[in-house]
Amino acid sequence: MIPSTPHHSNTPRHHWLTALCLGLLLIPNAAIAADEPFRPEAGKFPPLEKALSYRGELIFVDHANRRGSIRLQGSGMFFRNDPHPFAMLPFGIVRYHGAPADLRDIPLGTVMHVRAFLPPDPKTSAVPVLPVDSGKQDANHNRGAGIFPAENHVLLLEDEPSHCQRAGLTWKLKEVEIKSNAGMIIATCEPKKGGDSKATEEKLTFDAATRVWRGRECLSIEELIAEGAWPADGKKPLGGQAVQLGITWKPTPDGIFTRFHISDIWLDDASMQRAAYQQTETHKAFIRSRWMAAWIDAVEYGKFGRATITATLFGGMDPSLYADFTKGSPALMNPVANTLKHTHGGYGPAHMASKGPILDVIKLPGEAPLGSSGIQIRFETDLIIEGIRPTRIVRVRPASWPAVQVPREEYLNDSLEERFPTPAIFPKY
Amino acid sequence: MFTPILQHFTTPSSRWLVALCLGLSLFAAFAHAEENAFRPEAGKFPQLEKAHAYRGELVFVDHANRRGSLRIQSAGIFRFTAPSPFAMLPYALVRYHRAPADLRDIPLGTVLHVRAFLPPDPKTSAVPVLPVNHREKTKAGALGAAPAENHVLLLEDEPSHCQREGFVWKLKEVEIKDRAGTILASREGKQDAKTKPGDETLTFDAATRVWRGRECLRIEHLISEGIWPTEGKKTFGGQSVQLGITWKPTPGGVFARFHLSDIWLDDEAMQNAAQHQTETHKAFMRSRWLPGWIDAVEYGKFGRATIKATLFGGMDASLYADFKPGTATLMNGVENTLKHTEGGTAGPTQMAARGKLLDVTQLPGNVPLGSSGIQIRFETDLITEGMRPTRIVKVRPASWPDVHLPREEYLGNGASSIDERFPTPAIFPNY
Repeated sequence: MIPSTPHHSNTPRHHWLTALCLGLLLIPNAAIAADEPFRPEAGKFPPLEKALSYRGELIFVDHANRRGSIRLQGSGMFFRNDPHPFAMLPFGIVRYHGAPADLRDIPLGTVMHVRAFLPPDPKTSAVPVLPVDSGKQDANHNRGAGIFPAENHVLLLEDEPSHCQRAGLTWKLKEVEIKSNAGMIIATCEPKKGGDSKATEEKLTFDAATRVWRGRECLSIEELIAEGAWPADGKKPLGGQAVQLGITWKPTPDGIFTRFHISDIWLDDASMQRAAYQQTETHKAFIRSRWMAAWIDAVEYGKFGRATITATLFGGMDPSLYADFTKGSPALMNPVANTLKHTHGGYGPAHMASKGPILDVIKLPGEAPLGSSGIQIRFETDLIIEGIRPTRIVRVRPASWPAVQVPREEYLNDSLEERFPTPAIFPKY
Repeated sequence: MFTPILQHFTTPSSRWLVALCLGLSLFAAFAHAEENAFRPEAGKFPQLEKAHAYRGELVFVDHANRRGSLRIQSAGIFRFTAPSPFAMLPYALVRYHRAPADLRDIPLGTVLHVRAFLPPDPKTSAVPVLPVNHREKTKAGALGAAPAENHVLLLEDEPSHCQREGFVWKLKEVEIKDRAGTILASREGKQDAKTKPGDETLTFDAATRVWRGRECLRIEHLISEGIWPTEGKKTFGGQSVQLGITWKPTPGGVFARFHLSDIWLDDEAMQNAAQHQTETHKAFMRSRWLPGWIDAVEYGKFGRATIKATLFGGMDASLYADFKPGTATLMNGVENTLKHTEGGTAGPTQMAARGKLLDVTQLPGNVPLGSSGIQIRFETDLITEGMRPTRIVKVRPASWPDVHLPREEYLGNGASSIDERFPTPAIFPNY
């Protein structure tokens, strides 16, 4: 359309003038497009490398709306940082103890690693929308920059053991200093294979409430002392003992800006696997009762309400859950809100669900982006409805999963507020 | 309701008069009920026996404001029941795993036993205020699932409740398939085996933790040890255990069936859990200070005063033991949410009233729940507005660590925001 415009001018000079004007008009537009910040788009999993990465303490959870607050680690005084609201993207993954999790599973106070984006659609954000450069603003009162980034829509939220597992890291204990069952540990976080002689040493506190896991056992600090592994008083070098750490935050004496606290120490793989197993089983039962989340890739409409639906299952679940989606097995599908709340009211999600057989289960080629399972299903139903359209979020379950009804706060009735939770619940400090 | 009564009156004017009288008398009765309803008073610990008792699943927590929501058990369909907001009274106790706790320590989903009162002051309630007779109302088939008694004196999980009441769970039978199933059990009096409130069916699954001494076992460990069957039923003959109880959606149209998150097979395992929670809470209190209220103030000159305060109850004994006559001490006014009002970003120590403990007195008689029964006399040269009789304070011996609290746990400088002092109930969704 634009190249044809010059043809409306009848002299060469006019053509040049018009072209110049158009060019000048297009330059700022192109510049604006280039500067346009990246936002996840409906129907596309955003690349992890475009996410903003940060770390902070989980302060508040509204699990029913998949949102909460985190106190971000910055360069300043950690304790002064306001809790920063965040919302999980529909395909956002939570991991705890090296296993899939829901927000409700994470104890308040846990330090989490975050990968987040700008709100995909600021108009319907369930958390306050901030200017896109908020992450660069200095927060004053000795808090530093970067503690309230606009990137508050989370793709990945993982605790320390999960982060270390994904990044191939391990903590190495260098020294303990102890008095009255509490004290300080010096440790480094290094690659599991090969190590890193230049890894920075970090000081972390522990106390008599720190749990020490060894195989099946849950030990207290005083039991480590009784066994002679740690001294009752004073310092002891620990020789780079490889462990995994559960990290939280507690108020720190002596004017320290930021120092984290150890809630748990896993001394061996068996104990870490036991924790992962427990969390995996918790999450499997959770997903079987709430259904697997997915989005619609395509709908081929048939007659009298029939349709064949192609959907991509979201990622990060235990493989045994995906294994239940088999060709030919009956399934149920429901549209859900971006908070993953079922939309079909008090009768339970199965009542109005679109039912039919799974025609195909397809492993998509290439490496699945984070958020996706890389598994696509084709599903035929005789009840195609408005919520089941390309890019919309659905929940789906094989008919073999238990037919249960979810609690009141996890489904919508007729309220707009329930569909689009207000960000106004977050206090302004 | 009025129609049969009004039929006895033959003229329209007499019917109107009677209707008016009935309306006025109902209004008066309601007003009378509102006036006579028991509410905790400032400076008095309310009697536990006047509290309304209920039980429910913890669904939401706003720990910084000491409030949350519970799905309350009733005769109705549990999952239909909307979460009911609650607020902790300033002197309220939270107990988890038989030890003192803060709301932040309790995992969402935990089933809790509650003793609660009407809001002491409805005008400043941090949760919605309901008509006083609301526990007689039925919503979605659930009678009493949203009581007006939403200001909590005692919030305790199942092991803590059993400890206080002297109960133990006795396992009767397990039915299992694929590491999940149901357990038939009854909660019985430890001393009086004749008290049998009846068998209860509870679910468990592969995520249920089984604690034995130091060990944390899985259901499959019990199976591999031959204690539980792989599949089918087995009777247990009343094995004594403690149970951690939560709720999960239940198949089969069951109205309310609870779920086992944890089974403690022996006393050692339960004591380990209690020890961990006790240490967590001790560190918490040492950094947040011990709450109490002011009983009396004797004013001196130039800002000096001698303050009598009662320390709130339910903490580990070692914390109270740190309050000794002659020790240097700090005291701050706090809100009913127990948020520090002094010091702002500079920390609670900055503006605290300092002085010495003159006396530590054990009060005579039975100690009501909420109180420690310990009164301190404290002399300071900085008596402030927040330290007046009945007002809530936090106090620490100077030997406790001098730390700064996180932003959500103190009021902004100069107690700037009224919303921080009196958190709005508007954050709770209307279902």
